[in-house]
Amino acid sequence: MTAPVTAADPAPSRPRRRPPRADARSSAGLRDALTIAAVWLLLGTVTALVRPDFLSTQTLLAVTFTMAVAGVLAVSQGLVVISGGLLDLSLPVALILSAWVTVSLLGAGLPTIVAVLAGPLTGAAWGLLNGLIIVYGKLNPIIVTLATGFGGLAIMLVLFKSAQIPSGSELRAFGLGRTLGLPNVFWPMVILIVLTGLAVAYTRWGRRMVAVGGNAVAAKARGLSLPRTRLAVFGGAGAIAGFAGVLFCSVNPSFTPNAGAGFQLIVIAAVILAGISLSGGKGNFLVLLLSVGFLSTIPVSIAFFGLPPAWSLVFQGGLLILAVGIDGYRMRRSAR
Amino acid sequence: MTVDIDAGRVPLTRRLLANLNGPVGSIALTLAVTLIIGAVWVGPRYFSASNIEIVGTSIAIPLIVGVLASFALLAGVVDLSIGSMVGFGAVAFNQLVGAGMDPWQAAGLTLLTGVAVGAVNAYVIVGLGAEPLAVTLGMLTLLRGLCQAIVIEAPPTTLVEPLYDLTQGSIGSFPTLLLIAIGLTLVAAGFVGKTRMGRAIRAVGGDARAAGRVGIPVARVRVIALIVSAVGAALGGILYVGQLASASNILGTGLEFQIYAALMIGGYSITRGGVGNPIGALLGLLVVGAITNILNVQFIDPDYLDIIVALILLGAVLLDRIRGGDSFE
Repeated sequence: MTAPVTAADPAPSRPRRRPPRADARSSAGLRDALTIAAVWLLLGTVTALVRPDFLSTQTLLAVTFTMAVAGVLAVSQGLVVISGGLLDLSLPVALILSAWVTVSLLGAGLPTIVAVLAGPLTGAAWGLLNGLIIVYGKLNPIIVTLATGFGGLAIMLVLFKSAQIPSGSELRAFGLGRTLGLPNVFWPMVILIVLTGLAVAYTRWGRRMVAVGGNAVAAKARGLSLPRTRLAVFGGAGAIAGFAGVLFCSVNPSFTPNAGAGFQLIVIAAVILAGISLSGGKGNFLVLLLSVGFLSTIPVSIAFFGLPPAWSLVFQGGLLILAVGIDGYRMRRSAR
Repeated sequence: MTVDIDAGRVPLTRRLLANLNGPVGSIALTLAVTLIIGAVWVGPRYFSASNIEIVGTSIAIPLIVGVLASFALLAGVVDLSIGSMVGFGAVAFNQLVGAGMDPWQAAGLTLLTGVAVGAVNAYVIVGLGAEPLAVTLGMLTLLRGLCQAIVIEAPPTTLVEPLYDLTQGSIGSFPTLLLIAIGLTLVAAGFVGKTRMGRAIRAVGGDARAAGRVGIPVARVRVIALIVSAVGAALGGILYVGQLASASNILGTGLEFQIYAALMIGGYSITRGGVGNPIGALLGLLVVGAITNILNVQFIDPDYLDIIVALILLGAVLLDRIRGGDSFE
């Protein structure tokens, strides 16, 4: 477990909106992790008590398949949030657009490596587009990505109605395969989360990004370029979302432009549950593994309880409300 | 607030010019451009009575929902859940009436669920201090899930006569509901601009701390604004049942984007309170309605609507920022 990342304490020259909370947060990451693990375990235990067949390979596969794409997207969203970019509401577009470009190139007969690299490139281009509008328009990221999210979905609906990955392609074979009993696509997600967690906590680049998120004014005063950081974060987060698109199309034989919408809430909920606060500047990426796993288990548990799938939306929505409520309450208490 | 007092001494013409320079002016210009494009491209039938009626009917309910949701924006707390709340209100009302309940009772119960949803939003946002956007995104998903959990098979068809007359009737060539919605807009504009309470709401959205220091009950204003927003959406749902005589589980999906885009085009901000005027909301929705209509009449893929709205929205917030509105960093 890496040390919880906290913004560098800025010089106390001007009145700050957020109080310093470096010491108050030192054990928060661990506490978040333990809480989520406990709730996850509780959910699994209750479901297994009601339906003993819940503890099966099928469940494990269902949960890990969902985790793979949601986890990579959560890293992308987490980077935007921790760097003070508020939220990227257009992630579903980055995901599906990249998946579409990848399967289109595969369908055109291009080598797998080209198609797989095109996914992250498409995502990066999309992220940079958002970043350029945000930085040079000096506009709020939430408004910009709300607009590009809906506009982008509409563009995709004009471009294609449904896309299929060629069934004989290597990428599809990779998506169907397993390593160590778990889906192949699960492992890149785990590696990405661990690497990002380490990079954010221990590299100069990561520290700077968190510093910008914690207090942009202080970071600027210390000579960090806000526009460059924003562009880098939105571009990089877009590339990661594009990578999620590659994983997504390898496990979904066909998809529509709307297919990304289902990830929007689960990803934001996972980021907030993991303690990556919407106010920026703090959070631990390793906890994402737990929060994504927990949220991905909900739909499977719902199915085992015999409830219609719509109930997982109800529970995930309720959980997000609960999580941001707790987050807000903690912030308010630490502000006193 | 001193601006309002001074405004009385400035000549009327100069006040009108000052207004034209603001967000309401640029949205009026956008509307004019849209109408000219419609006139040139579609021809005279664009302004025929039947076409005006179609546009009027299509924007009446979003206008009612939007004007009531605009109070939350003014108070600085955005409520993203209105699209799903419209859907949930419609589904609840339709199912209750379909099950044989008296329509008045059903409408009362539906509005009460609006109060409950608004109160939950308000408790988490105002009571616990959570980010409004994230909370109401959760509520948006939760309510959509409930819609899908309730309506699994084909929803019942309901015909409530007084509601049908209200939503489908017209006075001359103007739909009754549109006249009611415009009336509501004007009342809201007067309330926000001229009354003490309206100014209090704007103050809360503009600078909550300063508003608190001068004795305005910030928490109470925001709680009431969030409840009004959710009840308005529930009311919109009931009206949709009157218009469509049924309610599917996807009704209202994405409506929040079109309403908030229209509100932002009309001068509101979803990230900062205290700015915007209900008249701007009316003009913004007219622009969206007029563009939708051009696309419909010309048989153009309706998907282009969201692309155009997104571009206009970005243009509008950029213009507002250049004028000295809130800038990010």
